[in-house]
Amino acid sequence: MADYDIYELEEIRKLVDGELPWTTVQQMMKNAKDTDRFDKWITILQERVPWDEYILLPLTPALYIVQKDSDRIVKCRCGHEFGDYRVNWKLSALIYVRDDQEKLSEVYKGLEQPDLKWMQLREYYCPGCGSQLEVEALPRGAPPDFEFLPDLDTFYGKWLQRPLPQTVEFKDMTAEVIRSWCS
Amino acid sequence: MSNELSLKDQLRLNDQKFAETGCVFGLETLPEKERDPGTYESVWHTLLGICNAAWSVGCKVSSSPVAVEGGDALWALHTPTGECICTSRGITAHVGLLASMVRHFIELDYETLPGFKPGDIFENNDPHFGGIHCPDFDTAMPLFYEDKLVAWVSAVTHANDAGSVLPGSISFMNPDCFSDGVPVTMEKIGENDKLYPWYEMRMKSRTRTPEWVMGDTRGRLAGCLTVRDRLQETIAKYGLDFFLKASREYIEDSRRYAVSRIKTQTVPGRIRKSQFKDLAMKGGNVVMPKQDVDILMNLPMEMTIDENAAVSFSLAGASGTVPFGENITPTALASGLLMGYSHVVGFDMFNSGATYAMKLQEPPGGTWCNPFPVDYFAACGLGWAPTVMWLTSLYEVTGRLYHMRGFVEEMSAGAATTMAAEWSGENQYGNYTVGLTLEQASNGSPARGIGDGEPAAWCIFTANADFGNAEITELYYPIMYLGRNMQPDSGGYGKFRGGMGHTTIWMVKNTDGGINYTAACSGIRSKITGNHGMYGAYPTMPDRISYAHNTNIKALIDDQKPLIHERGDPEYGDLEQNIKAEILEANVVVPVVVEHTLQDYDIVINPISGSQAMGDPVERDPEMVRQDLDTGLTRNWVAEGINGVIAHKDNNNEWTVDDAATSDRRQAILDARKARGVPFKEWWLQESKKVLAKEDMHEAVTDMWRSSMSLSPHYAAELRSFWNLPDDFEF
Ligand SMILES: [Zn+2]
Repeated sequence: MADYDIYELEEIRKLVDGELPWTTVQQMMKNAKDTDRFDKWITILQERVPWDEYILLPLTPALYIVQKDSDRIVKCRCGHEFGDYRVNWKLSALIYVRDDQEKLSEVYKGLEQPDLKWMQLREYYCPGCGSQLEVEALPRGAPPDFEFLPDLDTFYGKWLQRPLPQTVEFKDMTAEVIRSWCS
Repeated sequence: MSNELSLKDQLRLNDQKFAETGCVFGLETLPEKERDPGTYESVWHTLLGICNAAWSVGCKVSSSPVAVEGGDALWALHTPTGECICTSRGITAHVGLLASMVRHFIELDYETLPGFKPGDIFENNDPHFGGIHCPDFDTAMPLFYEDKLVAWVSAVTHANDAGSVLPGSISFMNPDCFSDGVPVTMEKIGENDKLYPWYEMRMKSRTRTPEWVMGDTRGRLAGCLTVRDRLQETIAKYGLDFFLKASREYIEDSRRYAVSRIKTQTVPGRIRKSQFKDLAMKGGNVVMPKQDVDILMNLPMEMTIDENAAVSFSLAGASGTVPFGENITPTALASGLLMGYSHVVGFDMFNSGATYAMKLQEPPGGTWCNPFPVDYFAACGLGWAPTVMWLTSLYEVTGRLYHMRGFVEEMSAGAATTMAAEWSGENQYGNYTVGLTLEQASNGSPARGIGDGEPAAWCIFTANADFGNAEITELYYPIMYLGRNMQPDSGGYGKFRGGMGHTTIWMVKNTDGGINYTAACSGIRSKITGNHGMYGAYPTMPDRISYAHNTNIKALIDDQKPLIHERGDPEYGDLEQNIKAEILEANVVVPVVVEHTLQDYDIVINPISGSQAMGDPVERDPEMVRQDLDTGLTRNWVAEGINGVIAHKDNNNEWTVDDAATSDRRQAILDARKARGVPFKEWWLQESKKVLAKEDMHEAVTDMWRSSMSLSPHYAAELRSFWNLPDDFEF
C-alpha cells in the first residue's frame, strides 16, 4: 500500500490551501488515493488550531470533534466548546433568523428574494468567534439538520485499526437535551 | 455459466450468489483481470468506444434538437440478464432503468412469449412498469453470437413531445397518469431490425412532433445496430468465453471500487440533509381544479454507512404525491441515485456495479417517491424534478464526508435548481413546433473544497453538460438570442462560490400564428432559495422569469435605441428600464405556463441557476472578490455587505481592494453576528410555541408537515419531540 502514499506533508498542505496548480490537483484526483491522507490531514489541522486537545474528526472547516479528557466534544477552531458530539452542535450555537423583509434584504434583493411565508433563513454562529457555521433555508417546523453523527468507534476500531481508549454508545443524544429544556 | 439455464433461472442464481457472497455473480475473485490485466483493461475501453460510437451515430441519425444539439441520449451494453456492463456518454441517469427494464422482460417470461430473437426490438416508457416518464423512450435489443444470446444493447432518448396533456416533454402540469402521454408498455416494437408499422402510426396520431419522435426512435435503433456490429467483431477477436466472463467482472470490479472508496474516503455514521421544493400553482394557469393549490414538497435524505461500508439511503419523512407530474417510482429514483453515486463515489468503471454497493430503502407508499401503492393514477410527467433536487443532497453529504478524511480535492457543495424553457406554436417556417431549448443542461457547478465552481459547465442530470449553440437553437424555434450572460452572484455567497448560472434573453421573431413559452419544472425552486448553503455559505437565489408582451421593441430597433441584453438590477431590471409593453411581468414565480401567446418582438428572460457555495463568505479571499467585481460576476453591495470586502473602482473601471478597511469591515461583521445571534435554547423556547400555534405558517407548509408525518410515523415522533409538541399533535 505504501506505493500510494506518494505525497509529502507539504504537498497535502498546499493542496488544502489551494496552492497546487490545477493540473497537479487533477492528477491527484485521477491517481489511486493515498492511504495515509487522514493522518497527514489531522497533522495539518492540529498545527493550525490554538489548542491542544487531539482532533478525532474534523466536522466542518470550523468545527472539530476532539478528545477532551474522557469526553468527545465538538470544538470550534477558536476554542469555543459545543459539548458532546452526539448532540447536534447547533443547540449550542447562536442563531439568527432572517424573518422579515428588512433582514432578508441585506442578503437578497428584489426578484432574487425568496418568500418568507414559505421558508426561514437560519444562520448559526459560533459564540466564540462569530464564524457563520451553517445557513439553513427551511420552513417553520423543520428541526435543524443534524448533519453528521459519526460512528467513531467503528471508524477508529474497525476502519483505521486503532481503537480509541474508551468506547461510547453510537446514539443521537439531541432529544435528551431537548427533554432537559422542557421541565 | 450454464447453457441449460433459462435467463430467468440465471437471474435467480445471480441473486442467490450475491446474497451468499456479497459479490455480484458470486465473483469472489476476478480471474480474467488477474490473468491478463492488460487485455481486461483494453477490452473495457473497446466496449466504451463501441457505446460512444453508438451515441455519435444515434444522435446524428435522429433529427430532434434534444438529441442532435443536446446529445440528450445514451446507449448501453448489458449482460444477458440485464446488468449494465458499460455505457456511452450522455444521460447516465437512465442506466439503472435500462438494466431493470431488461430484467423485467426476463421476469415477465418474455423469453417464452414473445421470445428473444436476433433483430427483435423492445421498448418501454411507462412509469407503471419501470419507466421514468413518457418522453424518455427506453429501447433494448438482444444480441446474439452464433445463435446464443450473449448481451443486450439498450438506448434512451428524450423526445421533444410524447403527447402529454400540454405540449412539451417537461410535463410537470400533468394532473394524472392518463395525461402523461403515449405509453409504450413493455412492448416488442419491431423485429428483423425493423419497426412495426403500428408503432409509427401510434406516434403519428398521439405525439405532436411525430417526425422528431420517429427520428429519435430510428436514432436509438441505429445506435443499437452500431453496437451489435462492433460487438460481433470484438467477440470474434477476443473469444466469446472471455467476453462473457470479463463483462461480469467489470460489474463486480465496479462494485468493489464503490465499496473501497466509501471505506477509504468516508466515515461510518448517519448523515442527514433536508431539502424542500415548492410548487406555487394557486391562482395559476392549470389544467384541473385540483391543481389550483400551493405545495411544498419534503425531500429528506438520510444516508447511513455501516461498519462494512454498506451505504443505505432513507427517504423517511418524504411528503405525499402531488397532483402534478412531480412523482417518481422507486425504480426510477434508484436509477437517478446510481447516476448521482457515479458522479460522487464510483466512476472508475460506470455500470450496474455501484447498485450492489448501496441500498435505497423503499420509500413509504403514497409519497412522491413511491406513489402507486396508494395513488395508482399519479402522474410521473417529470419525476426527475424532485429527484434531482433530492440528489443535490448527495453531492453535499459526500462532500462533507470527503472533507473529514482530508480528500479536499473531491469535495463538492450541492446543486441549485433546474428549470427548462419550452416553446410550442408556429415556427418561422409556418409549421407547428414544440420543444425544449438546452439552456437547462448547463448550470454553474458547485463550489469545491479548494476553489470556486465553474460557470455554466455542469448539470446534475447528465455528465454531458451542453447548452447547445444559440445559432442552431434559433433555427429550431422562432426566437432570437438578445443575450446569454453569466448571472452575477448566481452561485451563492461563500468562501468559495458556486459557478455562475446563465440568463438568456429571447426575442420572439418570425412567427405568424404566435408561440407559447413555458418555464417548466425539471427541479425549480421559486418561493424558496435553491437549497441550503454549505458550511455557512448563503444559498442561491430562487428561480424567477420575466416576460413582456406587445412591446415597443420594433420602434426601439428602428430608432437604434438600447434594447435588453441582460437582466440587470434585481429591483429595477433592464426590462422595466428599457422596454415598454402592454403586459410586462418582471418577477414571475415558476413553474408557469405563460398565459399570453407571444408574438414577434415579445421578450422572455430565462435564468438558469448556478450551484451552491461553500464556507463563511467573510473568509473569501479579497483578491477573488476583486476579480469577480472586475468581471461583473459579483456586485459591490454583496462584496461589502456579505463578503466584507471594501473596494473602489478607478477611472478604468478596475477595482482595488482597501485591505485595512476590509479587515475592519470583516471584524465588524463577526461582532455584529455575535451581538444579534441568540442562544439556540432561547430561540427554541419561542419558536416551539410558534410551531405549536402554527403561527405565520403558509398552508403549503402545514400541508407538507401533515403529509410527511402521516406517511412516516417515526419521522413524526422525532419532529414532535424536537419541538416538545403533544404526542397527538398534527399540523
Ligand atoms: Zn469559533
